[in-house]
Amino acid sequence: MLSRLDRMPLVRAPLLALVLFAGLMPAAHALPAFARQTGQECAACHVGAYGPQLTPYGVAFKIGGYTDSNGQAGHVPLSAMLLGGFTHTGADQQDPPTAHTHRNDNFTVDEVSAFLAGKLTEQLGAFIQATYDGVEQRTALDHADVRFAHAMQLAGKDTVLGISVNNNPGVQDPFNTMPVWGFPYTGPAVGFGGGDAATLINGGLEHRVLGASAYAFWNNSLYGELGTYRALSPSVQSITGQGRGDDMGRLGGDTAYWRLAWMQDARKQAFQAGVFGLRTSIQPDRLSSGPRDHYDDLGVDASYQFLGTRKHVATVATSYIRERQTSDALFASGDAASRKVSLNEFRLNASYYYDQTWGLSAGRFLTVGKRDPLRYADGFANGSPNTSGYVLQADWTPWGKEDSWGAPWANLRLGVQYTMFDRFNGAKHNYDGNGRDASDNNTLFLFAWTSF
Amino acid sequence: MDNPMNSAAQLLLMLTFSVGLGGHSLPAKAAGDVARGADVFAQECAECHSPREGKNKKGPSSFGVVGRKAASLPDFVYSDAMKQSGIVWNAQKLDAYITSPRAVVPGGKMKYDGLDNAQERTDLIAYLSSLR
Repeated sequence: MLSRLDRMPLVRAPLLALVLFAGLMPAAHALPAFARQTGQECAACHVGAYGPQLTPYGVAFKIGGYTDSNGQAGHVPLSAMLLGGFTHTGADQQDPPTAHTHRNDNFTVDEVSAFLAGKLTEQLGAFIQATYDGVEQRTALDHADVRFAHAMQLAGKDTVLGISVNNNPGVQDPFNTMPVWGFPYTGPAVGFGGGDAATLINGGLEHRVLGASAYAFWNNSLYGELGTYRALSPSVQSITGQGRGDDMGRLGGDTAYWRLAWMQDARKQAFQAGVFGLRTSIQPDRLSSGPRDHYDDLGVDASYQFLGTRKHVATVATSYIRERQTSDALFASGDAASRKVSLNEFRLNASYYYDQTWGLSAGRFLTVGKRDPLRYADGFANGSPNTSGYVLQADWTPWGKEDSWGAPWANLRLGVQYTMFDRFNGAKHNYDGNGRDASDNNTLFLFAWTSF
Repeated sequence: MDNPMNSAAQLLLMLTFSVGLGGHSLPAKAAGDVARGADVFAQECAECHSPREGKNKKGPSSFGVVGRKAASLPDFVYSDAMKQSGIVWNAQKLDAYITSPRAVVPGGKMKYDGLDNAQERTDLIAYLSSLR
Protein backbone atom coordinates (compact mmCIF):
# COMPACT_ATOMS: atom_id res chain seq x y z
CA MET A 1 0.00 0.00 0.00
CA LEU A 2 1.10 3.48 -0.64
CA SER A 3 1.57 6.62 1.22
CA ARG A 4 -1.44 8.84 0.86
CA LEU A 5 0.87 11.51 -0.50
CA ASP A 6 2.42 9.43 -3.16
CA ARG A 7 1.48 9.20 -6.81
CA MET A 8 4.10 6.89 -8.26
CA PRO A 9 2.30 4.07 -10.07
CA LEU A 10 4.82 1.39 -9.26
CA VAL A 11 3.01 -1.45 -7.60
CA ARG A 12 1.30 -4.49 -8.97
CA ALA A 13 -0.76 -5.83 -6.11
CA PRO A 14 -4.37 -4.75 -6.69
CA LEU A 15 -4.91 -3.39 -3.21
CA LEU A 16 -1.72 -1.40 -3.40
CA ALA A 17 -2.88 0.21 -6.59
CA LEU A 18 -6.19 0.95 -4.96
CA VAL A 19 -4.55 2.72 -2.09
CA LEU A 20 -2.45 4.71 -4.48
CA PHE A 21 -5.58 5.96 -6.15
CA ALA A 22 -7.48 6.51 -2.94
CA GLY A 23 -4.68 8.42 -1.36
CA LEU A 24 -4.27 11.17 -3.90
CA MET A 25 -5.70 13.86 -1.70
CA PRO A 26 -3.61 14.93 1.24
CA ALA A 27 -5.43 15.32 4.50
CA ALA A 28 -5.91 18.95 5.37
CA HIS A 29 -8.34 20.56 7.75
CA ALA A 30 -8.72 23.79 9.64
CA LEU A 31 -12.21 25.07 9.85
CA PRO A 32 -13.38 28.60 10.58
CA ALA A 33 -16.92 27.18 10.80
CA PHE A 34 -15.90 25.69 14.15
CA ALA A 35 -14.43 29.03 15.24
CA ARG A 36 -17.62 30.85 14.35
CA GLN A 37 -19.72 28.28 16.20
CA THR A 38 -17.72 28.31 19.42
CA GLY A 39 -16.56 31.91 19.45
CA GLN A 40 -13.03 30.58 19.88
CA GLU A 41 -10.08 31.43 17.71
CA CYS A 42 -8.42 28.64 15.68
CA ALA A 43 -5.53 28.67 18.16
CA ALA A 44 -7.78 27.42 20.95
CA CYS A 45 -8.22 24.06 19.26
CA HIS A 46 -5.12 23.84 17.07
CA VAL A 47 -1.40 23.96 17.76
CA GLY A 48 0.06 26.75 15.64
CA ALA A 49 -3.41 28.25 15.10
CA TYR A 50 -4.10 25.98 12.12
CA GLY A 51 -5.44 22.45 11.83
CA PRO A 52 -5.37 19.64 12.19
CA GLN A 53 -3.09 19.20 15.21
CA LEU A 54 -5.39 19.41 18.22
CA THR A 55 -4.81 20.90 21.63
CA PRO A 56 -6.60 19.24 24.57
CA TYR A 57 -9.39 21.76 24.04
CA GLY A 58 -9.69 20.62 20.44
CA VAL A 59 -9.65 17.00 21.52
CA ALA A 60 -12.62 17.65 23.81
CA PHE A 61 -14.45 19.51 21.03
CA LYS A 62 -14.08 16.59 18.63
CA ILE A 63 -15.07 14.00 21.21
CA GLY A 64 -18.06 16.18 22.05
CA GLY A 65 -19.32 15.62 18.53
CA TYR A 66 -18.39 19.03 17.09
CA THR A 67 -21.43 20.42 18.96
CA ASP A 68 -19.89 22.74 21.53
CA SER A 69 -20.91 26.33 20.90
CA ASN A 70 -21.15 29.76 22.45
CA GLY A 71 -24.91 29.33 22.73
CA GLN A 72 -25.73 31.84 20.05
CA ALA A 73 -28.14 30.80 17.31
CA GLY A 74 -27.69 31.19 13.60
CA HIS A 75 -24.35 29.56 13.01
CA VAL A 76 -24.05 28.10 9.51
CA PRO A 77 -21.93 24.92 9.63
CA LEU A 78 -20.17 25.48 6.33
CA SER A 79 -16.53 26.08 5.47
CA ALA A 80 -14.25 26.00 2.46
CA MET A 81 -10.57 25.34 2.00
CA LEU A 82 -7.93 25.80 -0.68
CA LEU A 83 -4.51 24.17 -0.82
CA GLY A 84 -1.99 24.73 -3.55
CA GLY A 85 1.73 24.76 -4.01
CA PHE A 86 4.90 24.23 -5.93
CA THR A 87 6.68 20.88 -5.94
CA HIS A 88 10.26 20.11 -6.91
CA THR A 89 11.85 16.65 -6.71
CA GLY A 90 15.54 15.82 -6.54
CA ALA A 91 15.44 14.40 -10.04
CA ASP A 92 12.79 14.48 -12.74
CA GLN A 93 10.25 11.71 -12.39
CA GLN A 94 10.29 9.01 -15.03
CA ASP A 95 6.85 10.05 -16.22
CA PRO A 96 4.60 12.97 -15.33
CA PRO A 97 2.79 11.96 -12.12
CA THR A 98 -0.58 12.73 -13.70
CA ALA A 99 -1.92 13.62 -17.11
CA HIS A 100 -1.95 17.31 -16.27
CA THR A 101 1.47 17.72 -14.71
CA HIS A 102 5.13 17.77 -15.67
CA ARG A 103 7.97 15.47 -14.71
CA ASN A 104 9.21 18.11 -12.27
CA ASP A 105 8.62 21.64 -10.94
CA ASN A 106 4.85 21.58 -10.81
CA PHE A 107 2.54 24.35 -9.69
CA THR A 108 -0.68 22.70 -8.56
CA VAL A 109 -4.03 23.41 -6.97
CA ASP A 110 -4.10 20.33 -4.78
CA GLU A 111 -7.42 20.67 -3.01
CA VAL A 112 -10.51 22.79 -3.17
CA SER A 113 -12.81 21.57 -0.42
CA ALA A 114 -16.24 22.35 0.92
CA PHE A 115 -17.23 21.25 4.40
CA LEU A 116 -20.39 20.60 6.31
CA ALA A 117 -18.80 21.02 9.69
CA GLY A 118 -20.24 21.69 13.10
CA LYS A 119 -23.31 21.39 15.22
CA LEU A 120 -26.44 20.05 13.54
CA THR A 121 -28.51 19.50 16.69
CA GLU A 122 -27.71 19.69 20.40
CA GLN A 123 -26.04 16.28 20.33
CA LEU A 124 -25.36 15.69 16.65
CA GLY A 125 -22.44 17.12 14.72
CA ALA A 126 -20.63 16.53 11.48
CA PHE A 127 -17.37 16.89 9.67
CA ILE A 128 -18.01 16.06 6.02
CA GLN A 129 -15.59 17.14 3.33
CA ALA A 130 -16.02 17.11 -0.43
CA THR A 131 -12.88 17.84 -2.41
CA TYR A 132 -12.01 18.82 -5.92
CA ASP A 133 -8.57 17.44 -6.67
CA GLY A 134 -6.97 19.92 -9.00
CA VAL A 135 -4.21 17.51 -9.95
CA GLU A 136 -6.50 14.67 -10.95
CA GLN A 137 -9.24 17.09 -11.91
CA ARG A 138 -11.96 15.16 -10.19
CA THR A 139 -14.29 15.63 -7.24
CA ALA A 140 -14.93 13.08 -4.52
CA LEU A 141 -16.24 12.66 -1.03
CA ASP A 142 -13.26 13.13 1.26
CA HIS A 143 -13.18 12.54 5.02
CA ALA A 144 -16.59 12.13 6.63
CA ASP A 145 -17.35 11.79 10.32
CA VAL A 146 -20.85 12.22 11.72
CA ARG A 147 -21.15 12.01 15.49
CA PHE A 148 -23.72 11.73 18.21
CA ALA A 149 -22.39 12.64 21.64
CA HIS A 150 -24.08 12.57 25.02
CA ALA A 151 -22.56 14.13 28.14
CA MET A 152 -23.29 12.58 31.51
CA GLN A 153 -21.82 11.75 34.89
CA LEU A 154 -20.33 8.32 35.48
CA ALA A 155 -18.88 7.42 38.87
CA GLY A 156 -19.05 11.11 39.70
CA LYS A 157 -16.93 12.15 36.72
CA ASP A 158 -17.71 13.92 33.48
CA THR A 159 -18.26 11.38 30.76
CA VAL A 160 -19.05 11.61 27.06
CA LEU A 161 -20.65 8.65 25.32
CA GLY A 162 -20.76 8.83 21.57
CA ILE A 163 -21.20 7.17 18.22
CA SER A 164 -19.21 7.98 15.10
CA VAL A 165 -20.24 7.03 11.58
CA ASN A 166 -17.31 7.60 9.24
CA ASN A 167 -15.57 6.51 6.06
CA ASN A 168 -11.97 5.98 7.13
CA PRO A 169 -10.62 4.01 10.11
CA GLY A 170 -8.86 6.54 12.31
CA VAL A 171 -10.49 9.69 10.94
CA GLN A 172 -12.56 9.78 14.11
CA ASP A 173 -9.53 9.59 16.39
CA PRO A 174 -9.00 12.75 18.48
CA PHE A 175 -5.23 12.48 18.72
CA ASN A 176 -2.65 13.31 16.05
CA THR A 177 -0.60 10.16 16.26
CA MET A 178 -2.43 7.73 13.97
CA PRO A 179 -1.75 7.99 10.24
CA VAL A 180 -4.94 9.80 9.20
CA TRP A 181 -4.16 12.92 11.23
CA GLY A 182 -0.46 12.42 11.83
CA PHE A 183 2.47 14.61 10.79
CA PRO A 184 3.02 15.83 8.15
CA TYR A 185 -0.45 17.35 8.05
CA THR A 186 -0.23 18.17 4.40
CA GLY A 187 2.12 17.18 1.64
CA PRO A 188 2.94 17.27 -2.05
CA ALA A 189 0.31 15.74 -4.31
CA VAL A 190 2.82 15.31 -7.13
CA GLY A 191 5.94 14.55 -5.09
CA PHE A 192 6.96 11.90 -2.61
CA GLY A 193 5.72 11.68 0.95
CA GLY A 194 6.74 8.11 1.66
CA GLY A 195 7.49 4.76 0.10
CA ASP A 196 5.02 2.60 -1.77
CA ALA A 197 4.35 0.16 1.05
CA ALA A 198 2.15 1.11 3.97
CA THR A 199 -0.03 -0.58 6.53
CA LEU A 200 -3.75 -0.94 5.93
CA ILE A 201 -4.65 1.52 8.69
CA ASN A 202 -2.43 4.03 6.91
CA GLY A 203 -4.96 4.95 4.27
CA GLY A 204 -5.68 1.48 2.92
CA LEU A 205 -9.44 1.70 3.38
CA GLU A 206 -9.74 5.45 3.04
CA HIS A 207 -13.12 6.62 1.73
CA ARG A 208 -14.11 3.23 0.34
CA VAL A 209 -15.68 1.95 3.54
CA LEU A 210 -18.42 2.97 5.91
CA GLY A 211 -18.20 2.18 9.57
CA ALA A 212 -19.66 2.91 12.95
CA SER A 213 -18.00 2.95 16.32
CA ALA A 214 -19.09 3.61 19.88
CA TYR A 215 -16.79 5.53 22.17
CA ALA A 216 -16.53 6.80 25.71
CA PHE A 217 -14.39 9.53 27.23
CA TRP A 218 -14.31 9.39 31.01
CA ASN A 219 -13.05 12.07 33.37
CA ASN A 220 -11.39 13.94 30.50
CA SER A 221 -8.75 11.22 30.58
CA LEU A 222 -9.72 7.71 29.55
CA TYR A 223 -10.81 7.17 25.95
CA GLY A 224 -12.12 3.88 24.60
CA GLU A 225 -13.66 3.05 21.23
CA LEU A 226 -14.86 -0.04 19.38
CA GLY A 227 -16.27 -0.20 15.87
CA THR A 228 -16.58 -2.04 12.60
CA TYR A 229 -16.55 -1.28 8.86
CA ARG A 230 -18.07 -2.53 5.64
CA ALA A 231 -16.81 -1.86 2.12
CA LEU A 232 -18.90 0.43 -0.04
CA SER A 233 -20.30 -1.26 -3.11
CA PRO A 234 -18.66 -0.36 -6.43
CA SER A 235 -21.72 1.60 -7.45
CA VAL A 236 -21.65 3.67 -4.26
CA GLN A 237 -17.92 4.24 -4.71
CA SER A 238 -18.72 5.54 -8.16
CA ILE A 239 -21.32 7.92 -6.73
CA THR A 240 -18.93 9.24 -4.06
CA GLY A 241 -16.30 9.91 -6.69
CA GLN A 242 -13.79 7.25 -5.72
CA GLY A 243 -14.43 5.29 -8.90
CA ARG A 244 -15.61 1.71 -9.18
CA GLY A 245 -12.60 0.60 -11.20
CA ASP A 246 -10.37 0.55 -8.16
CA ASP A 247 -12.74 -1.29 -5.86
CA MET A 248 -10.66 -3.20 -3.33
CA GLY A 249 -13.26 -5.89 -2.75
CA ARG A 250 -15.39 -6.87 0.19
CA LEU A 251 -14.45 -6.58 3.85
CA GLY A 252 -14.99 -9.51 6.15
CA GLY A 253 -17.79 -9.47 8.66
CA ASP A 254 -15.31 -9.72 11.50
CA THR A 255 -13.74 -6.32 10.77
CA ALA A 256 -12.91 -4.57 14.02
CA TYR A 257 -11.42 -1.17 14.83
CA TRP A 258 -10.53 -0.37 18.42
CA ARG A 259 -8.80 2.31 20.43
CA LEU A 260 -7.76 2.80 24.04
CA ALA A 261 -5.96 5.93 25.23
CA TRP A 262 -5.18 7.95 28.31
CA MET A 263 -4.91 11.75 28.22
CA GLN A 264 -3.71 14.03 30.99
CA ASP A 265 -4.57 17.68 30.46
CA ALA A 266 -2.70 19.89 32.93
CA ARG A 267 -3.50 22.99 30.83
CA LYS A 268 0.13 24.12 30.81
CA GLN A 269 1.02 20.77 29.30
CA ALA A 270 -0.70 17.63 28.14
CA PHE A 271 0.24 14.00 27.68
CA GLN A 272 -1.41 11.14 25.84
CA ALA A 273 -0.59 7.48 25.37
CA GLY A 274 -2.56 4.66 23.85
CA VAL A 275 -2.97 1.57 21.75
CA PHE A 276 -5.12 0.94 18.69
CA GLY A 277 -5.89 -1.75 16.19
CA LEU A 278 -7.59 -2.70 12.95
CA ARG A 279 -8.35 -6.28 12.07
CA THR A 280 -10.05 -7.23 8.85
CA SER A 281 -9.99 -9.39 5.75
CA ILE A 282 -10.47 -8.34 2.15
CA GLN A 283 -12.02 -10.49 -0.51
CA PRO A 284 -10.84 -8.91 -3.78
CA ASP A 285 -13.27 -10.75 -6.09
CA ARG A 286 -16.29 -10.16 -3.77
CA LEU A 287 -17.27 -13.81 -4.18
CA SER A 288 -18.23 -15.60 -1.01
CA SER A 289 -16.04 -18.56 -1.88
CA GLY A 290 -13.07 -16.50 -2.96
CA PRO A 291 -9.81 -16.31 -1.01
CA ARG A 292 -9.17 -13.45 1.38
CA ASP A 293 -6.27 -11.30 2.46
CA HIS A 294 -6.14 -10.89 6.22
CA TYR A 295 -4.73 -7.82 7.94
CA ASP A 296 -4.07 -7.41 11.64
CA ASP A 297 -2.73 -3.98 12.57
CA LEU A 298 -1.66 -3.18 16.10
CA GLY A 299 -0.34 0.25 17.09
CA VAL A 300 1.02 2.06 20.11
CA ASP A 301 1.29 5.84 20.31
CA ALA A 302 2.15 8.69 22.63
CA SER A 303 2.32 12.46 22.48
CA TYR A 304 3.31 15.38 24.68
CA GLN A 305 2.44 19.06 24.38
CA PHE A 306 4.00 21.93 26.28
CA LEU A 307 1.44 24.71 26.04
CA GLY A 308 2.39 27.18 28.77
CA THR A 309 1.00 30.64 28.05
CA ARG A 310 0.75 29.63 24.38
CA LYS A 311 3.63 31.97 23.56
CA HIS A 312 5.97 29.00 23.18
CA VAL A 313 4.32 25.70 22.27
CA ALA A 314 6.28 22.51 21.75
CA THR A 315 5.01 19.06 20.84
CA VAL A 316 6.39 15.57 20.44
CA ALA A 317 4.46 12.62 19.00
CA THR A 318 5.30 9.07 18.08
CA SER A 319 3.61 5.92 16.86
CA TYR A 320 4.55 2.39 15.98
CA ILE A 321 2.31 0.09 13.94
CA ARG A 322 2.91 -3.60 13.37
CA GLU A 323 0.87 -5.25 10.67
CA ARG A 324 0.63 -8.98 10.12
CA GLN A 325 -0.70 -10.05 6.75
CA THR A 326 -1.96 -13.47 5.74
CA SER A 327 -2.53 -13.03 2.03
CA ASP A 328 -4.43 -16.01 0.68
CA ALA A 329 -5.87 -14.04 -2.25
CA LEU A 330 -2.62 -12.40 -3.29
CA PHE A 331 -0.85 -15.74 -2.99
CA ALA A 332 -3.49 -17.51 -5.06
CA SER A 333 -3.28 -14.89 -7.82
CA GLY A 334 0.49 -15.04 -7.91
CA ASP A 335 0.94 -11.55 -6.50
CA ALA A 336 2.67 -12.75 -3.35
CA ALA A 337 5.48 -15.23 -2.85
CA SER A 338 4.68 -15.73 0.82
CA ARG A 339 1.27 -15.99 2.42
CA LYS A 340 2.46 -14.41 5.64
CA VAL A 341 4.44 -11.20 5.91
CA SER A 342 4.73 -8.38 8.40
CA LEU A 343 5.13 -4.66 7.94
CA ASN A 344 6.20 -2.15 10.57
CA GLU A 345 5.82 1.62 10.56
CA PHE A 346 7.49 4.00 12.99
CA ARG A 347 7.03 7.74 13.20
CA LEU A 348 8.50 10.36 15.48
CA ASN A 349 7.97 14.08 15.08
CA ALA A 350 8.39 17.27 17.05
CA SER A 351 7.32 20.85 16.54
CA TYR A 352 7.83 24.27 18.04
CA TYR A 353 5.55 27.27 17.52
CA TYR A 354 6.33 30.82 18.57
CA ASP A 355 3.43 33.11 19.28
CA GLN A 356 1.10 30.60 17.60
CA THR A 357 2.42 31.94 14.33
CA TRP A 358 5.92 30.77 13.44
CA GLY A 359 6.45 27.03 13.32
CA LEU A 360 9.26 24.56 12.87
CA SER A 361 8.62 20.82 12.65
CA ALA A 362 10.74 17.77 12.04
CA GLY A 363 9.77 14.15 11.64
CA ARG A 364 11.37 10.76 11.14
CA PHE A 365 9.52 7.99 9.31
CA LEU A 366 10.55 4.39 8.92
CA THR A 367 8.82 1.47 7.20
CA VAL A 368 10.34 -1.98 7.52
CA GLY A 369 8.91 -5.30 6.37
CA LYS A 370 9.58 -8.81 5.30
CA ARG A 371 10.88 -9.24 1.77
CA ASP A 372 8.56 -10.64 -0.85
CA PRO A 373 9.71 -10.45 -4.49
CA LEU A 374 6.19 -10.73 -5.91
CA ARG A 375 4.35 -8.53 -3.44
CA TYR A 376 7.00 -5.84 -3.75
CA ALA A 377 7.99 -6.29 -7.37
CA ASP A 378 8.08 -3.44 -9.91
CA GLY A 379 9.71 -0.37 -8.46
CA PHE A 380 11.08 -2.18 -5.41
CA ALA A 381 14.63 -3.36 -4.86
CA ASN A 382 15.18 -6.93 -3.71
CA GLY A 383 11.50 -7.40 -2.93
CA SER A 384 11.89 -5.14 0.07
CA PRO A 385 9.27 -2.60 1.22
CA ASN A 386 11.73 -0.69 3.39
CA THR A 387 11.60 3.11 3.25
CA SER A 388 12.96 5.70 5.65
CA GLY A 389 13.54 9.40 5.74
CA TYR A 390 12.92 12.76 7.33
CA VAL A 391 10.42 15.57 6.93
CA LEU A 392 11.32 19.16 7.80
CA GLN A 393 8.81 21.98 7.72
CA ALA A 394 8.73 25.69 8.47
CA ASP A 395 5.46 27.57 8.33
CA TRP A 396 3.87 30.92 9.00
CA THR A 397 0.30 31.29 10.19
CA PRO A 398 -0.41 35.01 10.44
CA TRP A 399 -4.10 34.69 11.35
CA GLY A 400 -6.18 32.38 13.53
CA LYS A 401 -5.62 34.25 16.79
CA GLU A 402 -8.15 36.25 18.77
CA ASP A 403 -7.12 39.60 17.36
CA SER A 404 -6.23 38.39 13.89
CA TRP A 405 -7.43 40.01 10.74
CA GLY A 406 -10.48 38.24 9.40
CA ALA A 407 -11.18 36.22 12.56
CA PRO A 408 -13.19 34.05 12.69
CA TRP A 409 -13.81 34.06 8.95
CA ALA A 410 -10.44 33.27 7.45
CA ASN A 411 -7.17 31.56 8.19
CA LEU A 412 -3.95 31.07 6.27
CA ARG A 413 -0.77 29.04 6.47
CA LEU A 414 2.22 29.45 4.21
CA GLY A 415 4.90 26.83 4.48
CA VAL A 416 7.93 25.10 3.08
CA GLN A 417 8.33 21.38 3.52
CA TYR A 418 11.24 19.17 2.57
CA THR A 419 11.04 15.38 2.56
CA MET A 420 14.30 13.49 2.18
CA PHE A 421 14.81 9.78 1.85
CA ASP A 422 17.74 7.69 2.95
CA ARG A 423 16.01 4.56 1.64
CA PHE A 424 13.10 4.15 -0.77
CA ASN A 425 11.30 0.92 -1.70
CA GLY A 426 14.09 -1.27 -0.43
CA ALA A 427 17.30 0.50 -1.42
CA LYS A 428 19.33 3.66 -1.15
CA HIS A 429 20.52 3.43 -4.77
CA ASN A 430 18.84 2.18 -7.92
CA TYR A 431 15.72 1.03 -6.14
CA ASP A 432 13.71 0.74 -9.36
CA GLY A 433 16.30 -0.99 -11.50
CA ASN A 434 16.44 2.04 -13.78
CA GLY A 435 19.09 3.91 -11.82
CA ARG A 436 16.80 6.00 -9.63
CA ASP A 437 18.14 6.65 -6.14
CA ALA A 438 16.18 7.29 -2.98
CA SER A 439 17.51 10.84 -2.84
CA ASP A 440 16.10 11.50 -6.32
CA ASN A 441 12.70 11.46 -4.63
CA ASN A 442 13.62 14.16 -2.13
CA THR A 443 10.77 16.61 -2.42
CA LEU A 444 10.56 20.32 -1.82
CA PHE A 445 6.99 21.53 -1.35
CA LEU A 446 6.08 25.19 -1.03
CA PHE A 447 2.45 25.55 -0.07
CA ALA A 448 -0.31 28.01 0.61
CA TRP A 449 -3.22 26.70 2.62
CA THR A 450 -6.22 28.80 3.41
CA SER A 451 -9.69 28.24 4.79
CA PHE A 452 -12.86 30.24 5.26
CA MET B 1 -1.15 65.88 70.34
CA ASP B 2 -1.13 63.01 67.84
CA ASN B 3 1.28 63.05 64.98
CA PRO B 4 -0.84 63.99 61.91
CA MET B 5 1.20 61.61 59.74
CA ASN B 6 0.39 58.67 62.02
CA SER B 7 -3.30 59.58 61.87
CA ALA B 8 -3.23 59.68 58.11
CA ALA B 9 -1.52 56.30 57.98
CA GLN B 10 -4.05 54.81 60.37
CA LEU B 11 -6.90 56.24 58.29
CA LEU B 12 -5.43 54.77 55.10
CA LEU B 13 -5.00 51.41 56.80
CA MET B 14 -8.59 51.47 58.05
CA LEU B 15 -9.88 52.40 54.61
CA THR B 16 -7.90 49.66 52.99
CA PHE B 17 -9.07 47.12 55.55
CA SER B 18 -12.69 48.17 55.30
CA VAL B 19 -12.63 48.12 51.52
CA GLY B 20 -11.14 44.65 51.72
CA LEU B 21 -13.91 43.47 54.00
CA GLY B 22 -16.37 44.94 51.60
CA GLY B 23 -15.18 42.51 49.02
CA HIS B 24 -13.54 44.85 46.54
CA SER B 25 -10.43 43.99 44.66
CA LEU B 26 -7.85 45.84 46.65
CA PRO B 27 -6.63 42.85 48.69
CA ALA B 28 -6.06 40.87 45.52
CA LYS B 29 -4.29 43.78 43.90
CA ALA B 30 -2.12 44.21 46.95
CA ALA B 31 -1.11 40.55 47.13
CA GLY B 32 -1.24 39.51 43.50
CA ASP B 33 1.12 40.12 40.66
CA VAL B 34 -0.69 41.39 37.59
CA ALA B 35 1.97 40.21 35.13
CA ARG B 36 2.01 36.73 36.58
CA GLY B 37 -1.76 36.83 36.62
CA ALA B 38 -1.77 37.57 32.90
CA ASP B 39 0.27 34.41 32.38
CA VAL B 40 -2.15 32.41 34.51
CA PHE B 41 -5.01 33.82 32.47
CA ALA B 42 -3.27 32.75 29.26
CA GLN B 43 -2.69 29.26 30.63
CA GLU B 44 -5.99 28.63 32.35
CA CYS B 45 -8.66 30.92 30.96
CA ALA B 46 -7.89 32.41 27.56
CA GLU B 47 -9.19 29.50 25.51
CA CYS B 48 -12.71 30.39 26.63
CA HIS B 49 -12.50 33.99 27.90
CA SER B 50 -11.21 37.16 26.31
CA PRO B 51 -9.79 40.08 28.27
CA ARG B 52 -11.18 42.42 25.62
CA GLU B 53 -14.29 44.46 26.28
CA GLY B 54 -17.29 43.12 24.41
CA LYS B 55 -15.48 39.99 23.17
CA ASN B 56 -17.39 36.91 24.25
CA LYS B 57 -16.01 33.51 23.36
CA LYS B 58 -17.36 30.29 24.73
CA GLY B 59 -17.27 32.10 28.04
CA PRO B 60 -18.18 35.76 28.62
CA SER B 61 -15.64 38.56 28.37
CA SER B 62 -13.47 38.91 31.44
CA PHE B 63 -13.17 42.65 30.95
CA GLY B 64 -14.55 44.41 34.01
CA VAL B 65 -15.57 41.18 35.68
CA VAL B 66 -14.51 42.37 39.13
CA GLY B 67 -17.50 44.16 40.59
CA ARG B 68 -19.83 42.88 37.88
CA LYS B 69 -23.07 41.12 38.64
CA ALA B 70 -23.07 37.52 37.44
CA ALA B 71 -24.88 36.80 34.18
CA SER B 72 -25.17 40.49 33.39
CA LEU B 73 -23.61 40.77 29.94
CA PRO B 74 -26.57 41.21 27.61
CA ASP B 75 -25.11 39.46 24.58
CA PHE B 76 -23.94 36.26 26.25
CA VAL B 77 -26.04 33.14 26.82
CA TYR B 78 -25.63 32.15 30.47
CA SER B 79 -26.80 29.00 32.21
CA ASP B 80 -29.91 29.23 34.33
CA ALA B 81 -27.79 28.38 37.35
CA MET B 82 -25.54 31.37 36.76
CA LYS B 83 -28.52 33.65 36.17
CA GLN B 84 -30.03 32.61 39.48
CA SER B 85 -26.81 32.70 41.48
CA GLY B 86 -27.17 36.31 42.60
CA ILE B 87 -23.39 36.62 42.68
CA VAL B 88 -21.52 39.87 42.39
CA TRP B 89 -17.96 39.05 41.38
CA ASN B 90 -15.71 40.38 44.10
CA ALA B 91 -12.28 38.98 44.88
CA GLN B 92 -13.55 36.47 47.42
CA LYS B 93 -16.28 35.12 45.16
CA LEU B 94 -13.91 34.90 42.23
CA ASP B 95 -11.38 33.07 44.36
CA ALA B 96 -13.98 30.54 45.45
CA TYR B 97 -15.35 30.15 41.94
CA ILE B 98 -11.96 29.69 40.32
CA THR B 99 -11.06 27.15 43.00
CA SER B 100 -14.11 25.04 42.28
CA PRO B 101 -16.65 26.40 39.81
CA ARG B 102 -19.18 23.67 40.35
CA ALA B 103 -19.15 24.08 44.12
CA VAL B 104 -20.05 27.76 43.81
CA VAL B 105 -22.46 27.49 40.88
CA PRO B 106 -23.83 23.95 40.71
CA GLY B 107 -25.31 23.38 37.28
CA GLY B 108 -23.20 26.07 35.65
CA LYS B 109 -21.80 25.33 32.24
CA MET B 110 -18.15 26.28 32.75
CA LYS B 111 -16.17 23.12 32.08
CA TYR B 112 -13.25 23.80 34.34
CA ASP B 113 -12.10 21.66 37.23
CA GLY B 114 -10.58 24.54 39.18
CA LEU B 115 -7.22 26.06 40.03
CA ASP B 116 -5.69 24.64 43.19
CA ASN B 117 -2.73 26.98 43.50
CA ALA B 118 -3.73 29.85 45.82
CA GLN B 119 -0.95 32.19 44.69
CA GLU B 120 -1.91 31.69 41.06
CA ARG B 121 -5.50 32.50 41.92
CA THR B 122 -4.40 35.64 43.70
CA ASP B 123 -2.28 36.70 40.74
CA LEU B 124 -5.11 35.91 38.38
CA ILE B 125 -7.59 38.00 40.36
CA ALA B 126 -5.10 40.85 40.42
CA TYR B 127 -4.96 40.63 36.64
CA LEU B 128 -8.75 40.47 36.34
CA SER B 129 -8.96 43.52 38.57
CA SER B 130 -6.76 45.37 36.11
CA LEU B 131 -9.14 44.72 33.23
CA ARG B 132 -11.16 47.89 33.32
